[in-house]
Amino acid sequence: MEHVINAENMTLAYGKDEPIITEASMKINPNEFVFITGKSGSGKSTILKSMYGELSPQKGVLDVCGVGIKNISTSKLNLLRRYLGIVFQDYRLINEWTVEKNVMLPLMIGGFSKGVCAKQAHKLLKHVKLLHKADKYPLELSGGEQQRVAMARALAHNPVMILADEPTGNLDEYSSEVIWDLLKNAKEHLGTTVVVVTHHIPSTLGIDYKHYFLESGVVYEVS
Amino acid sequence: MKSLKNHLSVIFPLFVLLFSIQFSFLTNKIVEDYSRKLTRDYSIVIVASKTIDKAVLKSRVKGIKSIQEISSKKILDRLKDNISSKNISLLKIALPKFYSLKLESFPDISRIEKIKDRLLKSGLVSKVETFSKTHTKIYRMFMLLKSISFLFAAFILIVSVLLMFKQMRIWLLEHKERMAVMTLFGAPFWMKSAMLYRLAIVDSFISTIFVSILYSVLPFMKEVNTFSKSMNITIPTFDILKDGGTLLGISLVFSLFIVSIVISKMNRE
Repeated sequence: MEHVINAENMTLAYGKDEPIITEASMKINPNEFVFITGKSGSGKSTILKSMYGELSPQKGVLDVCGVGIKNISTSKLNLLRRYLGIVFQDYRLINEWTVEKNVMLPLMIGGFSKGVCAKQAHKLLKHVKLLHKADKYPLELSGGEQQRVAMARALAHNPVMILADEPTGNLDEYSSEVIWDLLKNAKEHLGTTVVVVTHHIPSTLGIDYKHYFLESGVVYEVS
Repeated sequence: MKSLKNHLSVIFPLFVLLFSIQFSFLTNKIVEDYSRKLTRDYSIVIVASKTIDKAVLKSRVKGIKSIQEISSKKILDRLKDNISSKNISLLKIALPKFYSLKLESFPDISRIEKIKDRLLKSGLVSKVETFSKTHTKIYRMFMLLKSISFLFAAFILIVSVLLMFKQMRIWLLEHKERMAVMTLFGAPFWMKSAMLYRLAIVDSFISTIFVSILYSVLPFMKEVNTFSKSMNITIPTFDILKDGGTLLGISLVFSLFIVSIVISKMNRE
């Protein structure tokens, strides 16, 4: 697989509405750290949605991990998503499940045994320094802690790529730093490709990254 | 508390549904049992000029269980005081033969007419008395009872199914977020909907248990006993394996069918 993401002249639109992204081309290589920035409403999250198959391109080509997203079948999409880790600004944890079970989710979907799931969840929770809260429920945690749980969940199944939509948007400075460290570690130590949609690129990241900028529906690669 | 309320919202319509279905089964059983009793008591009287060959008549008219000759001795004994013995002897010779006919099952109105017709056409019978007025009255009452219980069950079924549909949509909305998160991580359809199916199965079991307990206790209740004795009917006992199994099957079919419809509808949306 040459590119984790390969978009060529991709146009994205919701239904029959005006296109939000027009003729965008992007190439993201394995183990790259990529930022997608732009003003509010510029279509950053729309691009990310297309990358996890929530939105199919109206025109052009979009391949994720070598799989064409256009007209993809549900079963193929399910399979593709098992290689992705997704993080959202609003965490999207299952509030009725414990922290541990939330982290176990991608592994359960992957068909791993309960023992394996629990072991991996403990490892990840230790990594995000929340092992002591494994039995708590998401709503019993702070925003920063919830996002760390979401990060642990995204990393649980060693995904090929992490897609993060404003992962630090709701967090204080300290929690944001923790999340950036976790994303950086995923790239450096696990070889994961990381794509982050954000308003602001942290100045203290300390790694090489690729930067795409969105304006008026057009994607520019910032050198 | 919310979870209990959610469960009760499905258990209650399922309970009512099973209750009405079992009530309908019970009414059918009671009617069948009562009609068997009536068949024992019901008979058609036929008149013939000559002695009837019972085997021949049975072969010509189907559904006859037994044919018994009614003795004319009692009639003649009553007339002994007013008529001379010579005339009695003449009357004995001239008097037609009377027979009481028992049927294999309790007939409906059209079957009575058919039997009457066949008897008259058999060439062996000169007159038939079916007592159809009394019979028709009882038979119509049974049919009415059966129809009412069926209509009652059908009405309850529709209302219960609608209530269950409503509740399962609420369940689905409550689980929508969870299902959306699972979808993001590539969960297959069965995994996303497993929770709803599990709830439906659990509630089916609970409602079946409640209805089974109720109908098991019913024949032993004092009021029911008094009523059944006064009406000369027998309330059948609840067979846990047969009746309980049937009810469980029905509740599972209904609840799982409704969950599937609601989920597939959501998937289409």
